[in-house]
Amino acid sequence: MNDIAPTALTVITYATLPEVMIYQVARTIQDGELVFHGYGSPVPALAMLLAKRTHAPHMIHIEGATYGVNPDPPFLPPTSNDWSLSRGSVMELGITDLFDIAARGEMGRMFLSGVQVDRYGNLNVTTIGDPAAPRVKLPGSGGGCNLSGDVQHVTIWTTGQRASHYTSGKRQFRFVNEVDFISSIGHVARDGRSRAGLGLRGGGPDWVVTELGVFDFEPRSHVLRLRALYPDTSVQDVLDNTEFTPEIALDVQTVPLPTPEQVALIRRFDPLNTHQREFKSSDVSRRFELSNSY
Amino acid sequence: MVFTAENKQVTLTDAAAIVQDGMVVAVGGGLSWREPMALLRELIRQGRRDLHVVGTAHGVDVDLLCGAGAVSIIEESYVGFEQDFGMAPNYRRACQQGITSIHDTCCHTLLQQLRAAEYGVPFLPVRSVQGTDFLHLHPEYKTMTCPFSGLPLVLVPALAPDVAIIHAQYGDIHGNLKILPPLVADLLFIRAAKHVIVTVERLVSTDELRILGVNVPYFWVEAVVEVPFGAHPTSCYPFYAYDRAHLTDYYAAAQAGPESFARDYLTSYVYEPVTHDMYLERIGGASTQRALASWNESDDAWRALFTAPEGALA
Repeated sequence: MNDIAPTALTVITYATLPEVMIYQVARTIQDGELVFHGYGSPVPALAMLLAKRTHAPHMIHIEGATYGVNPDPPFLPPTSNDWSLSRGSVMELGITDLFDIAARGEMGRMFLSGVQVDRYGNLNVTTIGDPAAPRVKLPGSGGGCNLSGDVQHVTIWTTGQRASHYTSGKRQFRFVNEVDFISSIGHVARDGRSRAGLGLRGGGPDWVVTELGVFDFEPRSHVLRLRALYPDTSVQDVLDNTEFTPEIALDVQTVPLPTPEQVALIRRFDPLNTHQREFKSSDVSRRFELSNSY
Repeated sequence: MVFTAENKQVTLTDAAAIVQDGMVVAVGGGLSWREPMALLRELIRQGRRDLHVVGTAHGVDVDLLCGAGAVSIIEESYVGFEQDFGMAPNYRRACQQGITSIHDTCCHTLLQQLRAAEYGVPFLPVRSVQGTDFLHLHPEYKTMTCPFSGLPLVLVPALAPDVAIIHAQYGDIHGNLKILPPLVADLLFIRAAKHVIVTVERLVSTDELRILGVNVPYFWVEAVVEVPFGAHPTSCYPFYAYDRAHLTDYYAAAQAGPESFARDYLTSYVYEPVTHDMYLERIGGASTQRALASWNESDDAWRALFTAPEGALA
């Protein structure tokens, strides 16, 4: 494993919003969990690399498309089925190994995203509009449909909670009243059935990390609940950018910032800034001063 | 099925002729890795139509087939270009214009269907999928209450592709193969499919192959073709990384619309170079091949390949 010190002696005085968000995703990982990120997911990939080298050394890292076990990649390429992402791995699991691990209940956590997210954590990455004649065909859910049922815990992440404005004045929400297609299941199905009623093994999503804040699900209603904001976002930002009304925790916190050492780790693993491709440039330019520079 | 011919080495043209219009086709590899691109280009040149493609997470392979109008049903778990370029333009157009019907699947669901074929049973159950809209997309999936546990289950039918098209690193003329990981779903495709066509980077002797370690025995393979750089523009390590400069041009042509894709890509890289050797010249000949093979010279050299066209291939 790489040691933590970066090779270049740069002084790290700030973290970008993407780096702070990667740290929030990393904090949802428990030590000793078997953790998997989907392909095309540099934010959770970096969160896993960070977690294993800081608070979760016994985490089992299964790489998103190569299924490499505990890799130590030289850099993050913009495509996932690449040998660079397997380097340092003990071996690569087979595809049936990976999905059987989840089906048996051995997968502790994985990460899912969506172009539409509803209050119960149902996600859509399949079609916008009528699925039989879609206005937009999205790329598809990969393994997300199955894994959303099987994995013990899911962290939902998205870099696009902020609703876009159209010239017509209409706004397009990512956090919507109803998703057009349920690609992966959250806490409550369309017909009102709970996960237990559906016979699903896993516990469903427990954390949602976005560029506006960190959320969980209120335990009784299973509705999305704001838990923490970034130093530059507000409750109003969240309400303005969510089509439904989320729960708001009584004690909304400000997210903790990573240490300069943690930021150095993220930058060392992603010299190509692949993760920034997930973010709007206005979010990449959000910067937070760190108290102890490195 | 089993195939016992002593010598299975054929031409790319003859191998592609095994694939018929309307077949269920499992394309090997995944995303930007080890996809059998040379054989897919030959299928397009031969004018194959109405293919039903099945697989897990794919990219330029399925998008190219869509751009050439060769596909009518898509049963993949993902088709896109990830962080690299984003959504797959030809695939999106084909789906949104109703040219192809949308049968999106999910990885474990598809694996269970392939394994049912592999195990010789008519279906297998999954616990997941319930509560999602995949049940509406696939009326062939059934639900039942498990007679042993009382759990609600989804039953998915066996899926035996008519043909699996695989690009492997090494093979011999008998059809024995060494495929290096990530294996994606290739070993399942090979067991489940009725016909298996393989292109290989290197055709080697059986003795050499034994030392490398055979992971597919000859009798499942019907035809073998030696096609160096046969996965281009996807990667095929240890031989070459993917060709990001080429994919950049591909994506720009596809994004600009079907006419520009036909003019700027299909004509130049599929129809005019009627042989694979002509294709290799068209993509830049030996210098491109050397550049893509330079990934293992150093981490810097490897990383530079991912910044092309600004980087190493500029």
